[in-house]
Amino acid sequence: MKRPIPTAALILYVLLLALGLGIGSAYAVLKGAPPFGARSFGPWHVWPKLGSAEADPYMRAIVARRGDIPLATGEGLALTALVDNSGRQLDSACSYRVGSSAPAARWWTLTVYDADGKLAPSELGRNGFTSPEILRDAQNGFTISLSRALSAGNWLQLPPSGPFSVVLRLYDIPGAAGLSMNAEDLPTIERLECGA
Amino acid sequence: MSNLTRILLATLCGLVLAAGVHIAAVFMAPSFAENDAFGRLQDTLAEDQAQIISPPGGGATWLPLPDPATAVAACAFDLSDGPVRVTAKTGQDFLSFSFHTKTRGVFFAVTDRAAIRGELELVVMTPRQLDEARAAEDPNEPTRDVRIVAPQEQGYIVVRVAAPYPSERMQAEEAAKAVSCTVDEDEDEAS
Repeated sequence: MKRPIPTAALILYVLLLALGLGIGSAYAVLKGAPPFGARSFGPWHVWPKLGSAEADPYMRAIVARRGDIPLATGEGLALTALVDNSGRQLDSACSYRVGSSAPAARWWTLTVYDADGKLAPSELGRNGFTSPEILRDAQNGFTISLSRALSAGNWLQLPPSGPFSVVLRLYDIPGAAGLSMNAEDLPTIERLECGA
Repeated sequence: MSNLTRILLATLCGLVLAAGVHIAAVFMAPSFAENDAFGRLQDTLAEDQAQIISPPGGGATWLPLPDPATAVAACAFDLSDGPVRVTAKTGQDFLSFSFHTKTRGVFFAVTDRAAIRGELELVVMTPRQLDEARAAEDPNEPTRDVRIVAPQEQGYIVVRVAAPYPSERMQAEEAAKAVSCTVDEDEDEAS
């Protein structure tokens, strides 16, 4: 006949399980992007409540862990793209065309970051464009080329290698624009060709 | 009870408790974070001027994903010393304030559109300080202060100044540095 497992051992097992799973899962979630409240527009992702008093506890914990200061709702909105229009991860070995319109805002900036979220050194010392400085075509649209090699027009140099991300920041947007935005207003990210 | 039942029961208890631990850990994370923005801004508590944390043009910064077209400056506050008055001179370009608590996120934001005659001035206070200021106020001479109630005593104010063209970076950085955040002595004495 089998001896019963001591109750003390079971209690220890319960506590270890609770601590291990609880803290482990919390750590795993907080390492990534906020799990709730994301909105997607084509390749762009945005957490409209990140910079508001209604941010959920996950958002607050993730902002604290990153040491980030999100744009407040009244200041603007930051949209992040990690993939192109077809859903493929943005890769520095490829070249991309970004355009041609942006939602209504007082001004916007579009910035390229490397895989660590840093501004990669570029030959022209430029990592982004702002809406006033960008060159536009006759229809008031714009095209930004993202590539490793020099290109004409609005060109941003990609980091030497690896994945990268693009952040579009819309500053001082009209009241409910964050909620009524749709994918057609946002620039598309088209992959052109992939070199070595 | 057989051993198998006991282990199953213990596992179930463990899972339920784990959910509780998960929730508690997520809720407590902001209070324990030391490398969060508030923790890094401790040095600015004693300063009367906002300190640059992310210069335009992509200089050294701890801020993740810095926007190279804006100058970001901040000053931490502790309202237990009295209300904090924050003042900025606004120009042609975009300037914004956002008000953050230590652990509960953003509680207010305003842009230079709200500026009066090129100046943006706000007073951050606790609900108690607001009551005191109202009680001390002369009804015939209402204050022109824009008062904002902070849900927490500790927090920080962030100012962002646009530099849409590279030539404006110096100017934006100067404008961000010129923002003053001072403990408002007058309000205390008036009470």
